Amino acid sequence: MALPFPYTYYSCDCFDSAAAVPTAKRASHPPPADDEDERTFDPRNPRSNYALYPLEHLLYCEDCRQIRCPRCVLEETLNWFCPSCLFEVPSSMIKSEGNRCTRNCYNCPVCTSSMTVSSLEPPKHPSNDDTGGLAGPFFLCCPYCHWSTLDIGIEFEKHTGITQQLARIKNGGQVVPSLKEREKAREKRHEARDGLAAAREDISVELSDAADPPAQEDVFSNLSSFYKSQLSLGASSHPFSPHHDINFSSPSSFSRIMNLYSSASSKKQKRDKPPPMREASSVAEGLAIHTSSSDHAAIQDLKLRGWDHTLTYSQKNNQLDQSVRFASELRPSPTLLCTKRGKRCRACRHILSKPEPKITSTRYKIKLLASNHIPRLSIRALSASLPLPTVPSSAAQGFDYSHLQPSATIHFLLTVSNPLFEPVRITLATPSTTMGKVKSKVTILCPQFDVGANTDVWDEALSSTPARRGGPSDSSSANSTQVEAGKIWERGRNWTSIILEVVPGIIEQHRGLTFGGDQKYRDDDGLVEDEDVLEIPIFVRIEYESDVAVEDRAPGTESTRPGGKEKREEAFWSVLGVGKIKPLQ
Amino acid sequence: MSATLTPTPPTPKPRPTPSKRASTALPRPPALNIDPSALIAQHASLAGPHPILVAANVVLHPHAKISSVHGKVLLGEGVCVAERAVVGVQGGPEVGASIGGVTPPTAGVVVGNGVVIETGAVVEAEEVGEGTVVEGGVRVGRGCDIGRFCTITAASVIPPDTEIPDFTVVYGNGLRRVDTTLKERTDLQEMRLVMHAKQIEVYKKLIPNNVGKWMG
Repeated sequence: MALPFPYTYYSCDCFDSAAAVPTAKRASHPPPADDEDERTFDPRNPRSNYALYPLEHLLYCEDCRQIRCPRCVLEETLNWFCPSCLFEVPSSMIKSEGNRCTRNCYNCPVCTSSMTVSSLEPPKHPSNDDTGGLAGPFFLCCPYCHWSTLDIGIEFEKHTGITQQLARIKNGGQVVPSLKEREKAREKRHEARDGLAAAREDISVELSDAADPPAQEDVFSNLSSFYKSQLSLGASSHPFSPHHDINFSSPSSFSRIMNLYSSASSKKQKRDKPPPMREASSVAEGLAIHTSSSDHAAIQDLKLRGWDHTLTYSQKNNQLDQSVRFASELRPSPTLLCTKRGKRCRACRHILSKPEPKITSTRYKIKLLASNHIPRLSIRALSASLPLPTVPSSAAQGFDYSHLQPSATIHFLLTVSNPLFEPVRITLATPSTTMGKVKSKVTILCPQFDVGANTDVWDEALSSTPARRGGPSDSSSANSTQVEAGKIWERGRNWTSIILEVVPGIIEQHRGLTFGGDQKYRDDDGLVEDEDVLEIPIFVRIEYESDVAVEDRAPGTESTRPGGKEKREEAFWSVLGVGKIKPLQ
Repeated sequence: MSATLTPTPPTPKPRPTPSKRASTALPRPPALNIDPSALIAQHASLAGPHPILVAANVVLHPHAKISSVHGKVLLGEGVCVAERAVVGVQGGPEVGASIGGVTPPTAGVVVGNGVVIETGAVVEAEEVGEGTVVEGGVRVGRGCDIGRFCTITAASVIPPDTEIPDFTVVYGNGLRRVDTTLKERTDLQEMRLVMHAKQIEVYKKLIPNNVGKWMG
């Protein structure tokens, strides 16, 4: 696990609760505990890897009163924006134009950094009359690797609307006819071909004059228009034209009447006997024929310009047209859009987090963090008795968490701090020995205690009563006080710390013989990976009284009086990563 | 304090300030040739026993360091050296290592016209060609030969004795490509030099010149 010792993970039981939905009631009745409640959480279980999260990664659903981990939230896209120009793109545009920026944002096809528009005009002298706007041809240039559209022979007339301009220019500067022009040309060719009797000869004619193969989008548009025309041919031959309508069961007039009354049945009949569709048979119809000349050209290119001229795999992958092979075929790739997402509870669809819709803002409108609802457990060795907030890294305090002495009693200080505004009663439970091969003994000296409410910091400071501290009142006597069972160690405004007594188990390093079945779980020094990590599962149960929420208070019910208090309970498993046990010398 | 000092005879202090500066801790180069049109900021330092030539319109930003401890340094016309950048062969174990134990006088560093050396870069190269840009945090090892109009992108490390041909862009993790745009368009090359000259004009307006300290 990635966090340095000591750490605390919180378990989200979303998988288990989903598996056992009817029994997953809150523990309002502790004595008749079912199997699920009986089972102790095993941090060594491979499945636990997916259930344990640091507190900071967790959200909290106020309706379900449960922790929500990344596995049990639903994400929904709020809006799309370009990370380069920070303009929001409406979702209707996403459907029609795709998920790339349609403004001036482009990424370098060589190194993926975002490109800038530069002018080719030499800089004017400042004394000249400033017209403000830049003049002259423009080009896209990568500020990092210095690739520019001049490398592929593309210049722009204006510095805005690059996408529209780029769509009209092929590599090398030739102008691409617009879609309408292409349609027109296609129709013209179509008519011309209709005049010709033999369509077969047409292919050879067209192939011979096609020196460079058509671009992929041309092929696509040709093919799609061809298929559209085929479909419309098939549709026109349907019920309303009685001559072509030969149905097996009904006369055409009947089918026409049926068609008037119910469109569904007519559709069925349509599917019964589809008109035969032919495949594309010429370049104009979208037929792409592999030619050996293009292969020869590629080989010549390789011979002439060498390996440097080819693209790497990732460069090729970033291209819109992924069939390109050479650097001269590169196109600047429009910037991919990003999304802002909200999170909802998977169970009740309650919104858990929602960022502000404004693109430039990084703040959140709603953010229900688990750290605001769940007590924070933090652990440190008692011998390293320095107040936590002043020293961020506890390793600097002299206690070596990664070399725990086996079979020696170590005291840890478990501090529970309460983020709620009500005092909380906490009950802790842990198995007396940890699971796994290395059996360590764990004793919670004070398993049940209270934690004060998270009141205003000033309340305590201004109140006339002296600081209520249970155990040692000042740090000088802290070391001298005895560790005593059933007593809390120290108490503050909204936190309480207790002592955890741990006797790390002995790692039996060299066994004489390993028995067959056991062998595969052990590596060379006879220890499964991370077996020496001491992790303590702790079951935390919280009880507190809080005001009855407004939406919970049904208007008809008399049992809950308005403004009344309600007893609440929550429970979860957490795992304390205490340290690594040192092997016996 | 001042009362106690007044009775003591005033000690002759001909040049009090320069002697205190850290930059003049090393001996002032015996052959320091500085063009009067150069711009040397207050905290820039030029030091070392070997000759240093600073050509016209050179800009040395504050805390730029030109060191000729292990060999001469020639800065061409319009060279810009940014803050904390170091030009000159640095001392180190490799000095003797190259030729068995005997410390040879290195060839020094020759920086071509219009070269820009950005913040924190260390240039020990034998030669840096005209119009090259060495970006921030770059380390160019000794004995390197960098061509004209190259770009060494930020934080790159060029190992010693590397030859980098003209118009090369060193980017990413040691990747290289030829800047074909600049190579084929002489007008862009000229534009780059013109822009650089303008930049120097701006620097001359912004940075207080302390070249007088190093002259004469």
